[in-house]
Amino acid sequence: MKNNLKVERAIKNITQEELAAVIGVSRQAVNSIELGKYVPSTVLALKLSKFFNKPVNDIFFLEEAD
Amino acid sequence: MKTKLLLPNYLKRVGWVILVPSTLLGLFIMIFDYKFRFLNATVFTFYSGAWMEKPHFLTLVKANLTDTITGILFLIGAILVAFSKEKREDEFIAGVRLESLLWATYINYGVLIFCFIFFYEFEFLFVMIFNMFTILIFFIIRFYYMLYRANKSLSHEK
Repeated sequence: MKNNLKVERAIKNITQEELAAVIGVSRQAVNSIELGKYVPSTVLALKLSKFFNKPVNDIFFLEEAD
Repeated sequence: MKTKLLLPNYLKRVGWVILVPSTLLGLFIMIFDYKFRFLNATVFTFYSGAWMEKPHFLTLVKANLTDTITGILFLIGAILVAFSKEKREDEFIAGVRLESLLWATYINYGVLIFCFIFFYEFEFLFVMIFNMFTILIFFIIRFYYMLYRANKSLSHEK
């Protein structure tokens, strides 16, 4: 699974730490998601979607291998 | 995030304060076979019957409590360190925790199988003594190493 969290974050001009605080996770979680090392739960994906005011499908994308 | 079975974060510090001295003490009493004399006591036991004696159930025996107390302190310290929440416990850390526990279990029993094959008789007793504690040790090392790596990759990002 790929994501454009980093791009969305840049558009909103918000740091990993700030985003982490807003959605209530550790900064390591945000960083790991951006690096593609961690796939967030549905709850977390929906929180991110709500924060960026975009559908989940516009932030996270399936890859061929998924 | 809801985490039912984990201990509160402040107990992690308490855990380290217990774990570090009890580890040092444990190694010391193992290596030098040391016993504190003032810890000789008469204690209750469920079963006593070593060295060809007549077996007794639910009885009192004379024993030295050095190993008992050190072992219990180590286990309490290690459990507090291992299973207290992180400052910001979340699903990512829960994942690292679970994965580390699985990893520690594999390594622990892998090492035990190795020792089953290569240690016999009295020497195996030492293996068993260490093996009582190693699963927690492996877990703690792995878990904190993975968190350290996650923290390290943060320094490259903003």
